[in-house]
Amino acid sequence: MRWLEPLATAACVLALFGLWEAAVALGALNARIAPAPSTIAPMLVELLGRGAVLKSLGVTLKEVAAAFLISVPVGFFIGFTLAEMPGVGAVFRPLVNFLFGVPKSIFLPVFILIFGVGVEQKIAFGVFTTVFVLILGGISAVESVPRELITVARAYGASRWQVIREIYLPAMAPILMESARLGMIFNITAVLLAEIYGARDGIGYRIAGWGESLQMPQLYAALAIVATLAIAVNELLQQIENRIGAWRQRPA
Amino acid sequence: MTQPIAHSAVSVRGVTQVFTVDGQTTVALAPTDLEVPPGQFVALVGPSGCGKSTLLSLVAGLRLPTGGALLCNGEPISGPMPQRIGMIFQEANLLPWLTATENVAFPLKLRGVPKRERLEAARRMLELTGLGDFADRLPHQLSGGMKQRVSIGRGLVQDPGVLLLDEPFAALDEQTRMVLGDEVLKIWSSTGKTVLFVTHNLSEAVYLADRIIVFSARPGRIVDDVPVDLPRPRTFSMMSSERFGALKDRIWAHIRDADH
Amino acid sequence: MLRTPAQVRAAQLSLAVAILLAWELLPRLGVIPKLFVPSLSEALGALVEYRAEYLAHLPATVVEILVSYAIACGGGVTLGMLIASSPRARRMALPVLRSAYAVPMVVLYPVMMVWFGLGMGSKVGFATIFAFVPTLLTTVAGVASLSPNLLETARAFGASRWQRILYVQVPASLPTLVAALRLGGALVIVGVTVAEMLGAVEGLGFLITRHRTLLNSPGVYGGIILVLVITSSHEVLLRRLELRVARFREA
Repeated sequence: MRWLEPLATAACVLALFGLWEAAVALGALNARIAPAPSTIAPMLVELLGRGAVLKSLGVTLKEVAAAFLISVPVGFFIGFTLAEMPGVGAVFRPLVNFLFGVPKSIFLPVFILIFGVGVEQKIAFGVFTTVFVLILGGISAVESVPRELITVARAYGASRWQVIREIYLPAMAPILMESARLGMIFNITAVLLAEIYGARDGIGYRIAGWGESLQMPQLYAALAIVATLAIAVNELLQQIENRIGAWRQRPA
Repeated sequence: MTQPIAHSAVSVRGVTQVFTVDGQTTVALAPTDLEVPPGQFVALVGPSGCGKSTLLSLVAGLRLPTGGALLCNGEPISGPMPQRIGMIFQEANLLPWLTATENVAFPLKLRGVPKRERLEAARRMLELTGLGDFADRLPHQLSGGMKQRVSIGRGLVQDPGVLLLDEPFAALDEQTRMVLGDEVLKIWSSTGKTVLFVTHNLSEAVYLADRIIVFSARPGRIVDDVPVDLPRPRTFSMMSSERFGALKDRIWAHIRDADH
Repeated sequence: MLRTPAQVRAAQLSLAVAILLAWELLPRLGVIPKLFVPSLSEALGALVEYRAEYLAHLPATVVEILVSYAIACGGGVTLGMLIASSPRARRMALPVLRSAYAVPMVVLYPVMMVWFGLGMGSKVGFATIFAFVPTLLTTVAGVASLSPNLLETARAFGASRWQRILYVQVPASLPTLVAALRLGGALVIVGVTVAEMLGAVEGLGFLITRHRTLLNSPGVYGGIILVLVITSSHEVLLRRLELRVARFREA
């Protein structure tokens, strides 16, 4: 009977959309501020056909990708360094934890002061927000490598490089992957926030614009696009994470 | 008094090991001498912290002694010699992302043996240790005893002349321990390897070994060298014989005193 | 050189002092433009200079935080407990929650502004949505890791669902609950502040944005420091609570 559960979940989600549709039809929901899903769906198709919209989407995707591609190596490198040098790591740990606990979003105005509202600002803000997740992930990954396995490798004659390649990398891969996935979530949020706050282009900028001009179907359709893309990227990364981490014991 | 024999399988001469942590100095091993002839099965026993595991890791080449020298077949031990000395650890310490076969093949991989060759050698080793059906399982799918068997296979796959076992059965239940102990004996008697076996379990030591080296703690040093003159092959019923008990008593007397 | 805990402590303190010194001196010396980062004393000076203004806007922010906290954290934790009490509900909910967590909730703020305008309503609405899913997810996932034995034993004694939840699940899940509150609370504070930054007529975030448009960076940093004080206080409070709960569990 378990296999019915995903179907039941999907049915619940669809039912919610159905309720929404019904509420608008019955006048319980103001169609101006919450148009029915049946009006949003065609708008979605239309938006995806508009070149300008696709261009904005492209800008956002580029910003997200660039910020991610910078944050991952930088964050992991710092994380590995802090973990491998116990003295230095111990000194910087409280700082890193403190910085991680500080909400990065409130620094957005500072980034506008420094970078203006262009693409570089979005990327810089994205990196600023994401890199801490990856630093912590890097530290955690290195610390998770069981020391006994390093001893085993050495007992069997492994060179330093072999220890890194045969022990460290496979042991760390699942945690690094999970950290990358989480980082991406933070990254997408940061870039979109920056676009909504102040930008010249990007899907977030358009969403803010549609909101201001009360073009609700466009707004909701764009939300649907963004949500779908975000979920899709997350799923993809989750699948990779599951594949890489298949050897980890499933919690009972 | 042990006489140095030309070409002992393992020679320990005047070896000391001193650890300094945060300004505090601990003498793990006071000057120790030991000569192990080829093919001998030696058990190392003693209370916790008496240096027996330290000595084993010195023989394995995992550390260098603070003083003295260690030799394997006359050659100085300055680092791991995986083709001459195979090590089996207390926790099986299998790589959790590798199958049983790949785990056994691991030492060969480190040496650069091509994939097909090393996987075949590993599979044969698994057949020998009775794990042929589990060759493609991951460690988390294996029981404790099976994992230890894989670990033993890994230690044997390069056919080293010396086997070091560091409390390999400590984490296992008694039945598995006895079964695996018999298997180790079988391997030893059919291959003539030299075995150094660290254990806390006195019965296990007397049952398995030709010779028992007893250590005392802080600083670690050898306080007795007990030949075990029970006939081979060893049987379960020997464990209730008087001779067996007398040997155990002799060892226990040292350990008990050492705790004071 | 960095061996003993005392040495590490000393190094940490030196690091903290060095950072504060750099914050003060680098802008002063012109190494970092004052527009980007004003010196520490200037930022603190702005706090003092504009204190009337900050104090006037603080209540709005605090009220929004409290209301959102009650709805998002209270609601999230309660709903989370309910879902977690049924293995089936948990199995069905977790994938949806995990996907929802991946959606950047910030994009919902324009919707909130349309629905509720620029007043407190949109801030509360946004912060609630922003914090709700993570709180819910943390609760459900955390309770799920509890030993099933406890619940089984309760059921064997004939406890009804409500009794099981109240008398077994809640006490046993207290660490998870506190962790969820800690996360949710932080998100509520951030959500309110960000919403105020994006479009508001009052509040700390509104002030930060206003100072930014006036290129008054000491004012911006002063506001940021205030928000940091609020988040840090919240964090410290919940850490204490976490410790208290952990001790209670050992008993």
